[in-house]
Amino acid sequence: MSFFSQDKRVDGKLGQILGRVGSVRTRLNSLALQHAIFYTLAIAIASGAAIFAGAYLASPLVFFIGGSVVVVIAAAGIVSAIRAGWLMRASALRAASIADDRAELKGRLSTVIALADSETRGPLWSYLLEDTLGHHDEFAPSKIERRRVSRAIYPLAGAIVLAAIAVPISRIKHAPRIAAANGQDDLTVDLDDLHLREAEPGDESGMQVTADAATMRRLADKLASENAAGSDAPGNSLNQLVNRARDMAGNLQNKLTGQQAASNKRLNLRLADSGRDQDRNEIHRAPDAQKNRHGDVAGQFKQDQPKSNNELNLPPEDDSRQPNSEPSPRGPGAAGVESDAGKDNPNQDDSASDRSIQQSGENSSNGGEAHGIGADPDSLFGAPAGSKLGNEGFEIAIEARPQDHGAKGAGHAYVPPKVRTPLSLNQQPDEPVARAAVPADDRSTIKRVFER
Amino acid sequence: MSEVQAETPTVADFARTFRRIQAEIHKMIIGHEQAVEELLSALFAGGHVLIEGVPGTGKTTLVKTLGLALNLSFNRIQFTVDLMPADITGTRVILSGEDGRREFTFQPGPAFCHILLGDEINRATPKTQSALLEAMAELQVTVSGTTYRLKPPYFVMATLNPIEMEGTYPLPEAQLDRFLFKVRLNYPDEGELTRIISSTTGPDDAGIEPIFHTAEAPERIEALKKLVREVMAAPAMEIYAARLVRATQPQNSRFVTDEAKAVHDEMVNRYVMFGSSPRGAQALILGAKVRALLDGRANIAREDIEHVAVAALAHRIMLNYAALSDGIDAAHIVERVIKSVRGAKV
Repeated sequence: MSFFSQDKRVDGKLGQILGRVGSVRTRLNSLALQHAIFYTLAIAIASGAAIFAGAYLASPLVFFIGGSVVVVIAAAGIVSAIRAGWLMRASALRAASIADDRAELKGRLSTVIALADSETRGPLWSYLLEDTLGHHDEFAPSKIERRRVSRAIYPLAGAIVLAAIAVPISRIKHAPRIAAANGQDDLTVDLDDLHLREAEPGDESGMQVTADAATMRRLADKLASENAAGSDAPGNSLNQLVNRARDMAGNLQNKLTGQQAASNKRLNLRLADSGRDQDRNEIHRAPDAQKNRHGDVAGQFKQDQPKSNNELNLPPEDDSRQPNSEPSPRGPGAAGVESDAGKDNPNQDDSASDRSIQQSGENSSNGGEAHGIGADPDSLFGAPAGSKLGNEGFEIAIEARPQDHGAKGAGHAYVPPKVRTPLSLNQQPDEPVARAAVPADDRSTIKRVFER
Repeated sequence: MSEVQAETPTVADFARTFRRIQAEIHKMIIGHEQAVEELLSALFAGGHVLIEGVPGTGKTTLVKTLGLALNLSFNRIQFTVDLMPADITGTRVILSGEDGRREFTFQPGPAFCHILLGDEINRATPKTQSALLEAMAELQVTVSGTTYRLKPPYFVMATLNPIEMEGTYPLPEAQLDRFLFKVRLNYPDEGELTRIISSTTGPDDAGIEPIFHTAEAPERIEALKKLVREVMAAPAMEIYAARLVRATQPQNSRFVTDEAKAVHDEMVNRYVMFGSSPRGAQALILGAKVRALLDGRANIAREDIEHVAVAALAHRIMLNYAALSDGIDAAHIVERVIKSVRGAKV
């Protein structure tokens, strides 16, 4: 009887100790969980704020690189925080050991917990329980671990404050640009500061620019030269990757900043005679165009519907063109004037080229001007233009994003005053030469000259 | 004469008895508190002690005082180079019986006692030194094919003179390993020396009062020794002791095969030829149990193990010539090992 009651008392004391240790363990595990959650949230919020601010303030490439670094660091930090929380979790034995250390119980609790399930406790077991219970005030959960909330709350609060500060500041700092872009209908861009490249098929982003023939020719030349430079460069694929990354980052920036719709607005570059349309010899934003932040310009020649009868259009672009297709070896004019049928198949005979050119002339009525763009001998000859090219033009859609700052202040270049002087009696109006049939005997000579 | 305690001692009884013995010893021995505590710890842990100290530091006095305080049978052997094993264990001699017949009779040597003092044990030949091996380890003596049991408690205290090395035979490792602790007696400081002078040169000799009755002293001490064994050691403490011992073993030792979870210290690898044996871990735990009882606990803690680590491990570590030339001693190695293991996350 006495042995039974003594055994029961011992079990009761053991239960009390285990309950206390369980409370300590619960508190420690709660702190470990909070540590993991708070640090994860803090890292996520801080990195999100950094990315958000970067979307407003950084250029696409910097945003892409910086954002990638932030994402990688954040991912590593989150994994580390979760791992730290996992390692901080306490088993009953670990909780007892921590309580031993903090309450200076000299291993009493950990011995009790370690030997609680042992069958060979020895005659001093009851003494150990009683001795340990004698210190029960010292290993109360509130004394072992005073905190109920993890210290990780401070980094979380810091991250929230950081985000609360960084996001509005980014918006405010970005606001002048938006206002500047929204406040003007015409945007003059220095062609020398433009970087052009062909857009991906089906890419509707970018701007549509209009200009006179000479400007368009320069634009086309620049596109062709940059394409040629890009194809000759050893890091062509790398450039393409960089461009894609830039596009992706730009799209992400637009989504983050809510400027998705605006980025699809286009600038119109109109072709016109230099005399009559001199006032339009500038790259300006269409009246409905909204702001666009990016300084890089990527071009895409594509067919645009004629605005009126006195505007000429470029021949339609083949949408089946592959993104990585080689640029046309036939010079700058080919990129802008010819259809891509000839470009995709360099072995195509002259008759195909002729048909293409003829088709171009028929469809878009850009005859002489279109011939002037390129230096490819194969594209020199075609069917005579059906009409003169007086007021007709074409449009080139490029991805162009105006930027407030640039090498030469590209966003707001100096626009010279418009001066009109009367023509002399012997001077003819500057009109494009109409396409005419070339005599068969002269074809080889002309071709040889251009090939040279 | 003190009162007789209950048959089953409690933790409090142990601590009280221990302190009383300490107090009696310190009537004669001035200073050397740690040495006395280690000596008594080894006694109650069931081990033997090797006492190292320069001449005149009270080695023999300490042992004699202990014998008096415990009221146990006490013998002293002065080890010399011509001492023979039979001089320790005893021998068979021809004695005449009452009927006049002569027969070989075993005459027990000085090893047959409760407390044996082997003074300057390193002066005897290894053969003689090894005569103590069986007695210390097995509590028995074998003479001429006959084994004689020694009565517990059996406590061997051997003294070493570290400065007179000529004509000495360093103890073999096997024999060193059989000593639970090695206790070092250093020079007393000025205050202690003054008290020694006044207490030993006066007319009155300090009287040692035995703690136990002669008849019950062995049983009482055995009961206290049993209580020490009842102290609980959590698995974590046993692991800690094992790690300490393994950390004393150099990494490049050909006897170390399992490197998993081993803590290696650069100093150990550099200066230690052979580390501690498993007996070192046993000594750590047993010594820690005595410490725990003295602290009123029924469980050992890490502090207990660390407290006895130097006494339990230092004499089991065999240093190389680099350590000798650099002036590194084994105690320094043990302290370094404790720091390494404590800081390691294995």
